[in-house]
Amino acid sequence: MKLVQELYQYREFLKTSIRKEFRGKYKKSFLGVLWSFINPLLQLLVYALVFPFIMRVQVENYTMFLIVALIPWTFFNSTVCQSTSTIIASSGIIKKVYFPRAILPISNVTSNFLNFLISCIIIVVALLISGIGIGASIVFLPLVMFLQYVFSLAISFILSSITVYIRDLEYFVNVLMMLWFYLTPIVYEVSMIPERFRNILNLNPMVHIITAYRDILYYQKAPDLTALGILFLICFFLLWIGYHIFHKCEKRFAEEL
Amino acid sequence: MKKQKENLPAIKVSHVTKTFNVYYDKANTLKERIIFLNRNQKEVRKVLKDIDLEIQKGETVALIGVNGSGKSTLLKLMTKIIYPNSGTIKINGKLTSLLELGAGFHPDFSGRENIYFNASIFGLTKTQIDQRLDDIIAFSELGDFIDNPIRTYSSGMYMRLAFAVAINVDADILLIDEVLAVGDQHFQEKCLKKMKELKKEGKTMVFVSHSMESVKFLCDRAVWLYNGQIREDGPTEQVVKDYLKECS
Repeated sequence: MKLVQELYQYREFLKTSIRKEFRGKYKKSFLGVLWSFINPLLQLLVYALVFPFIMRVQVENYTMFLIVALIPWTFFNSTVCQSTSTIIASSGIIKKVYFPRAILPISNVTSNFLNFLISCIIIVVALLISGIGIGASIVFLPLVMFLQYVFSLAISFILSSITVYIRDLEYFVNVLMMLWFYLTPIVYEVSMIPERFRNILNLNPMVHIITAYRDILYYQKAPDLTALGILFLICFFLLWIGYHIFHKCEKRFAEEL
Repeated sequence: MKKQKENLPAIKVSHVTKTFNVYYDKANTLKERIIFLNRNQKEVRKVLKDIDLEIQKGETVALIGVNGSGKSTLLKLMTKIIYPNSGTIKINGKLTSLLELGAGFHPDFSGRENIYFNASIFGLTKTQIDQRLDDIIAFSELGDFIDNPIRTYSSGMYMRLAFAVAINVDADILLIDEVLAVGDQHFQEKCLKKMKELKKEGKTMVFVSHSMESVKFLCDRAVWLYNGQIREDGPTEQVVKDYLKECS
């Protein structure tokens, strides 16, 4: 509760910090914010060529199948990969002044989320061009986005604070994310996985988030609401744990950096 | 109820102990931690030992002492950049620290934009900054330079801008660490005068300085820290006299 109050008081700093990260990302590059589009598009191109043509994945309209899952994943991936360096990159101001440290992971997730919203234009355009269109199921989309935001924030809290103490995490996370990518049904679908492995796979929250995106946008049907309900509880529980870990660690940031 | 609140001290430090781990060769990564188990020797240095200090509202207190006596650590504890190992620190009121100036300054942006960055870190909202903008620019005496990127500033101009922001934050409690060593004679005097004004407005100030003249000019009470303990606490004149006697 105290955090909310403090965040409200420091809202201007939160805003500038989000803006700085959002604009700063592509500031030095020639194409600027256009990279928010080009990056996922190029990635998409690679996967859309590799899986149907080389790996022979048989899915109808594979590009669309991929696009609705890959772009949300990119948001998750970049948030998590950047989270390890958020605190370390701001060591200068952490050592100089007091401010609610939670602002740093929050602005990391939020600036990536804004980027994701921009890339969603690609999804919308692609849906319209491919003829799938946009159905009534889209009303569930904000809920899924919100869950993904909460889940990303929880992970960002945990990773950003622990990396201060164990710097190796930064490199480990990069490899882990690659593995996580293949443990999430992005280039394939859950039904392609043998039955006996499915229970293990279902422990991964991203499975349900990505499946929900695909249900809503690709299959144009309501997502599995029980799964999302459980996920909702899990995400908030993780956020609570994540914040407590962060809070425990933040007291020694200035000394450890 | 309200009356009771007013009687609370601005800063109450009770039984605060702070230790720092001084690593001879710090293991940063897991690999180093495992391979060089024996290398990870550390020395625990007690910087503050069981400090008790109460500062009332409206008081102006100087912390004096030789280098390494724990003055800056005490200020950092008060502003919550670091936390004590044991003991508690209670703050009543909005606190701003001028420990290091220019936090969050970005060299590529103009002075004006940096005022916004810097002041927002102190917890000001946009409207609050808008209101103070003219005062800050006037105080910094930067004139037309305010719209130049601050990488083009001289170090004096940089400090003047940073001090101008910090002093206009409008806090109830100000912690000031050795920042007056910036700027020319004229600006130093201006800062001291501004601080004297703030004192008249009833602000609480904790001031760390090696300049005994500024200490005498500004503070009614002085606390002499020696080896992490309070050696003497009393009227400025007396404490400064004893301190100088010991030093010489």
